[in-house]
Amino acid sequence: MDSLISSECIKCGLCNVCPVFRAEKLESASPRGKLILLNEIKKGAAKLDTRIVKEIYKCSVCGICSIVCPANLDLVSFWERVREDLVKEKIAPLPLHRKIRDITYREFNPYGGDQLKRSEWLDFDVGKSKTLYFAGCTASFKTKNIAKSTVNALRKLGVEFTVLGSQEFCCGSPFIRTGQKDLAKMLFKKNVKVWQKEGIEEVITSCPGCYKTIKNDYPKFAEEFRIDFNFEVKHVSTVFAELMNVEGKIDFAATYHDPCHLGRHMGIYEEPREVIRRAGIKLIEMERNRKFALCCGAGGGLRTQFKEIAVAIAEERVREALETGTNVIITSCPFCEYNLSRVGGSRVRVLDLSEIAERTISP
Amino acid sequence: MDEALQLALSKIGKVETHPGILRIYRYDFLVIPKQLSRFVKTPLCIVQPRSDEEVLKILEISERYEIPVIPRGSGTSGYGGCVPLVNCIILDMKNFNKFSFQDGTAVVEAGAVWMDVERSANRLGKALRVYPTSATVSTVGGWIAQGGYGIGSLKYGSVGENVEWLEVADFEGIKQIKGDKLKYYIGAFGTTGIILRACIKLRNSESIRSLAFECTFDEAIERIRGAYHANFKDRYHMKFEKLGERDTLLVSYEGEGESSELGKNLWSRRFSPLKALATDKIYSEVVLPIDQAARFYNEVKELACGIEVIFARDRAIFLGLFGRGFRSYLQALKFVKIAEKCGGNVYSTGLLFPYKNKLKRELEEYKRNIDPKNLLNPKKAMQENVFSRVMKTGEKLLWIV
Repeated sequence: MDSLISSECIKCGLCNVCPVFRAEKLESASPRGKLILLNEIKKGAAKLDTRIVKEIYKCSVCGICSIVCPANLDLVSFWERVREDLVKEKIAPLPLHRKIRDITYREFNPYGGDQLKRSEWLDFDVGKSKTLYFAGCTASFKTKNIAKSTVNALRKLGVEFTVLGSQEFCCGSPFIRTGQKDLAKMLFKKNVKVWQKEGIEEVITSCPGCYKTIKNDYPKFAEEFRIDFNFEVKHVSTVFAELMNVEGKIDFAATYHDPCHLGRHMGIYEEPREVIRRAGIKLIEMERNRKFALCCGAGGGLRTQFKEIAVAIAEERVREALETGTNVIITSCPFCEYNLSRVGGSRVRVLDLSEIAERTISP
Repeated sequence: MDEALQLALSKIGKVETHPGILRIYRYDFLVIPKQLSRFVKTPLCIVQPRSDEEVLKILEISERYEIPVIPRGSGTSGYGGCVPLVNCIILDMKNFNKFSFQDGTAVVEAGAVWMDVERSANRLGKALRVYPTSATVSTVGGWIAQGGYGIGSLKYGSVGENVEWLEVADFEGIKQIKGDKLKYYIGAFGTTGIILRACIKLRNSESIRSLAFECTFDEAIERIRGAYHANFKDRYHMKFEKLGERDTLLVSYEGEGESSELGKNLWSRRFSPLKALATDKIYSEVVLPIDQAARFYNEVKELACGIEVIFARDRAIFLGLFGRGFRSYLQALKFVKIAEKCGGNVYSTGLLFPYKNKLKRELEEYKRNIDPKNLLNPKKAMQENVFSRVMKTGEKLLWIV
């Protein structure tokens, strides 16, 4: 198992800001604790059993540990490699991660949604285009409002695009994050084959998970399989920031939740804020924002397998949002919206950036 | 673990006995050389009590079975204060994390994280007077048990000077400790009692303005008057942190006013205390009387590969960076020896320097009365152990460096 990084940890414990550790309170759930455990396993002083595997998976791969690490350890890719090794050794995935794997093999999305109804949310015709709007599984099946608002906003901004409907397959992000890369590679091949056939040159995503996967992981897969990968990949927030040159009149205050995959992982912090400001919204920052933002708790397979931890983390984020004095949370990630709105309930209104863009362009 | 002991503990809080997970609790931030790691024990279990009653129950079990108890906060100290050298129960205080505010003070449970207290205090227009540079993760009980200086110590002194009272648990029950008796608990690493909660002094929350500029160490001492916090980094330290290559002083003041760009940057980095440490260095920390600080600095500036100084009221806390390996360990020890020659001492004791505890005799006597079976974090703070004997031996070899 990959243990190089675990021996480089200086054990300072600054990574104990980890939201999972804060919820769980046991060091085995902290990045430092996991690194010590992996080192002890490497030395033969501890055994890798099902409990330890479970502890290793108690992580949303949010990356705050890497941000605060004085030794500059690249822990995000490390956690993913460790999980991949666990899957290779057949002691992972965990039961619910295996379940979404089985579902995705059948349905090409982890929610078990009917693939033929994947773009049911689309209520106007789109023709052929070199630009693809890749809605992703969550916006296609769970938060359809996001997909709908995104296409409405893109259309009004004059972006010509296509949607592939039943020919859009899960990008594979949940499987890369949970160590099941073989499935992610299969999905990569399916998606890229269709894109090439359809003459796609540019891919716009709503989901930061899809964005990171297609922009960062797909080129590596392409190299491995010697497939040409000449697609420009954009997150929709950057498209809005580039094209939305209007002065909006949305008159309320809101806070912005940085999705981990968009912010810490991909460095996109300012574009969504620019869109919010142009909409006329009074933006009030939460105490922990940008690279120090608290995770919503959903990612990295955490909500799938350890819902109670994901809920506890989202609860803390909702509390932090409410402390700003507003109850409106804007985010730019279908999965963050899904988790925060379910946990926040009637206390908060969670909106996606696409909904703000749509309202700004056509009040 | 003995079955009877397991049964007794099973009725208390959260108990963890997984052998792999227990091994994590052999560590804190202390760098343990390979040769000494065999002296570190794996705890019998981790217990996370949720109430005073549960802590007392654990102490009762500890006494009945004669199993030592080691209290633990976040394990972010570099002195091995919660590293077990005996078979023991780790008393993990994470569930003791509530706090409230009254009359300009905060009453805080031991497992609360400093930054959580600060954030809540700020909402009421109050702020902590002092907090550690590890405030984002370290616990109130942990820092008090270690003792020390941090952000704000220039104006408000050590953490100990900002504690009004402590509530501690020992084999007789729960006691409130005030005044002179606090010295038996602050910096004693839980060897005289388990800190349950502390009453901490607060200040009015005011914005902080920070200035930073190139400055020699001698000048720095002259330029910190009236400040809330001041910190000096020599050019090597700055270089390790990728902040330039000049000796730099950060001075922060309470109240409105303009900050300089570098000042803002250095102030915002106050919670990243270890960026210069990376993976290939160790550090040595000493406390000097302020009037000896310049003399000490001039003696050690060639010895360490980087120096940072935090100023306190009448003290200067020096953090010297050293490489890894035998020679560097000796250099780190020499740093301490030179500090002693200048009237200073080690920053804290823990596992490494119990023999340098200035209250050693007094503390030993106090502990004998409270803990006759030596069950509260034994071999720490004022009791010698294999690590401290190695340090002592090392001191005899300082002629090499």
